[in-house]
Formats: sequence, C-alpha cells, structure tokens
Amino acid sequence: MSIEAVSRPSPHMTWTDEELVAKSIRGDAESFNELVLRWERPIYALAYRTIGREEDARDVCQETFLRAFRALPGFRGQAKFSSWLYRIALNLCRDWIRRERRTPVVQPPEDVDLLELAAASEPSESIEDLVARQDLSRVVERAMALLPEEQRTAIVLKEFHGLTFQEIADLVGCPLSTIKTRLYQGLTVLRRELAKNPTTKGTML
Amino acid sequence: MTEMLCGYTDRDETIVAFLYDELDAGRRRDFNAHLLTCTVCRDEVAGLRGVRTQLARWEPPSVISRQSSVASHSRQSWWRTIPAWAQVAAALLFFGVSAGVANLEIRYDQNGVSIRTGWSNGSRGPGGPGASDRSGVSSEVRSAKVGQGLNTAVGPAADAPWRSDLAALEQQLKAELRAAQTGAGAAQTVRAASSSDAETLRRVRVMLDESEKRQQRELALRVAEVVRDVNAQRQVDLRNIDHTLGIVRNDLGVEVMKQRQSLNLLYRASQRQ
Repeated sequence: MSIEAVSRPSPHMTWTDEELVAKSIRGDAESFNELVLRWERPIYALAYRTIGREEDARDVCQETFLRAFRALPGFRGQAKFSSWLYRIALNLCRDWIRRERRTPVVQPPEDVDLLELAAASEPSESIEDLVARQDLSRVVERAMALLPEEQRTAIVLKEFHGLTFQEIADLVGCPLSTIKTRLYQGLTVLRRELAKNPTTKGTML
Repeated sequence: MTEMLCGYTDRDETIVAFLYDELDAGRRRDFNAHLLTCTVCRDEVAGLRGVRTQLARWEPPSVISRQSSVASHSRQSWWRTIPAWAQVAAALLFFGVSAGVANLEIRYDQNGVSIRTGWSNGSRGPGGPGASDRSGVSSEVRSAKVGQGLNTAVGPAADAPWRSDLAALEQQLKAELRAAQTGAGAAQTVRAASSSDAETLRRVRVMLDESEKRQQRELALRVAEVVRDVNAQRQVDLRNIDHTLGIVRNDLGVEVMKQRQSLNLLYRASQRQ
C-alpha cells in the first residue's frame, strides 16, 4: 500500500465515508480503495507523530487498513468511520510503543535525503529556507518526543487532526477533563522545551 | 516560565478550551474579561499560542512514494518497452507493406507529394501511352494527391494517362468500324455491327468508371490508415522524448541542489571558524 497523497478523479470521490463503507461491506473493492486513498495520509501522519519512526509508521498505517478491512463486516456505524479508523491506528501505536519499550525516536538529521528534501520544497522556497524549515520541524519533533504517550496523543489528535475534546475523550476512553488536563500539561512542557532551543526561542514568550 | 499566581476557576482547562476555541460564548466572554486584568493568564495564553505556531511547523516526512513510481513504470504498455529504433522500423515496414498492397507510386515534386496506385503499366514507352503499345487498356486508372500536412484529399488528376489510353482504344475501334463499313457486307449488317460496338464501348467505359471509384475508396482507406499509424508513432516518440528530457532536467536539478547544499555547508563552516 503506497503512502502518498493521491488526487485522482474517481466516481467514488463524492460519496461519504459511510456510503463507501456500506458498498465495501457488499463486496465493492473499489469503494474500500477509495477509503484507503482518502485516509492513508492522515493515518500515516498520526502514526508518525505518535511513534516517530517513518518505517514503523508505514507499517502501522498498512496494518490499520488491513485490520479495518477484516473488521469491516462488523462495523455497524456506531461511530464515524474516521473515529473507528483512528482508534485502530492508536491501538496499534500503543502496542508498538509497549513492544519497543521506548519513547518515540527522533530520526537524526543526517538521514535527510536530498531527493526527498527537494521534493518537499515549495516552488518559491530557497534551499536555505527549506533547511531552516526542516530544522524547525526537527526541534518540534524532539520536544514532542519528550512527552508521555497520553499527552502526545492528545496534542496530535487535537492539533493535527482537529478532533474536538469530546471526540478525543471517546477515542482514547477517558473523561473530557482528563483530555484537557493532558493537553494543558503537554503544551506547557513543549513551551518550556522550545524556549530552550535557539531555533525556536525567539518566537516563544 | 509562568508561575501559578492566578486563582481562576478551572484555570488550566479553561485556558486550553479558550486556546482551541471550545469555550461556550458565556465562559469565553468571562475569560476574555479576566485576561484584561490578569497578566499571568495573558502571558500564558500568548506563550501557548506560540507553541501552537511552532507545532504547525512539524511536518511528517514527505513521502514521495518510490512504490508509486515503480507501479507507474510497471503499468506502462508493452510497446513502451520496445526500443525506439524497433518501433520506427515496424512503422516503416507497415508503411512498405501497405504501399505494396496498394501498389503505390509516391512522387515528391514542386506540387507536393503525389501518390498513384493501380496495376502497373510497365510497357509504356517514352512517346506516351498508346504510342507504341496498343495491345491493352492502361490499367493505371487513378491517382491521388496528398498535400502538405498529410492532407488526404483524393481525386483523379486531369491528365491521368488512362484517359489517353481510352481515347486511343476508341480511335482504334472506330477505325475498325470504318474498315468494316467499306467492306463487302450489307449496309444493314454494318449498321447493326456499329450499334453493337457502340454498346460494347459504353460498357467498357462503365466498367472502368466503377473500377476507378472502387480503387479511390481503397486508396483513401489505406492512406488514412498509414497517416493514422504514422501520427500514432509520432505521438509515442514525442512522449518518449518528453519523458527523457524530464529525467535529464530532474538529474540536473538534483545536482544543482547538491552543490548549493555543499556551498551552504561550507559557508556555515567558514562562519563558525
């Protein structure tokens, strides 16, 4: 399964997730393909930000869709398809963290591949700006890696996936106030850590 | 760092909800009023907003999937893997076979490209058709012109050689008729023979006309096929050239980027020293 943002025209594109799920259950493989195309990037991003390893995030993403496909006949629409998918992915991330018994690993800067770096650049962006952007991204990544898994997950779901407090609470199975507290604590730690780094210090109050 | 000097109720949760715009209108209004008077909370909200700004810069690695490019290569049609020279040779072979089937004669002069087809008349002498060989009707019955831009307009040329052959045949038949008229036969018989020969001549003309029309249709079809195949091959070659140029451009871009990166590193290293 490839991890890429795909924007090809498809007759399935205008259907809702729930319609595609219903068609998939009836055996329409193309509908499930459309669901994968629609959600593989967010799921990969969630996995990467939670566990911090590119290859493992890809594995988690693939396993998420594999499990979703197998469990699809049992999906009765109690929750949104995306929430159901997030739950599967988060459980897999937790399993990975427990199995590895370590905090997320931030990949060293030496891993930067010039080809990928070039591909990630904006058309009008100079190489200096691009390197600076990558540096900033790594600083934030390192700070996030310091957070406990619960706080990191809450921040990732809120900040990058736009879930409401209630949706996060439902997803991870804890009270609303706990989610808010985790967010507050996580953001506070990040604020302290980012203030220490010269790259981000100037923008922190 | 912010010290805890504020006793606002549910302060931490309220700050988070305020930050993410999930406070109801009443509580939002209250907290906004509180922020006007509490520097501790105001600083903290500003600081956490700064964290959110930094978080927005955290991007997962850009996954330009190598799998996708591999997949797209494997999806290429079988003919894309055939070398260009073989594709050109196949096109020429097809053109040759088509020309052979249609017995094409292609000339290129100041009038453009001229294509002629039909049964060949190899015995035609330099004096023109019918000058030395009167034994049969010229079988070169029609011609077609293909103008610039592969225009496939087809039509008989005004000076088609078969017309002079036909005129010669007509003259020969008339001469024979005249000879018969001066012979010993009865006048009635001569009139009957004349009528019969005229009918034969008319039938020959009808047959030749039909043959010409049939061949025109066949030639138009074959020329259209050849033109279509040549165009298809041209499109394929253009795509191949585009693809190759794209690869060359990418390679150049990466080389330039590597050099810029090296220069940047050298520059930074020199700045540190």
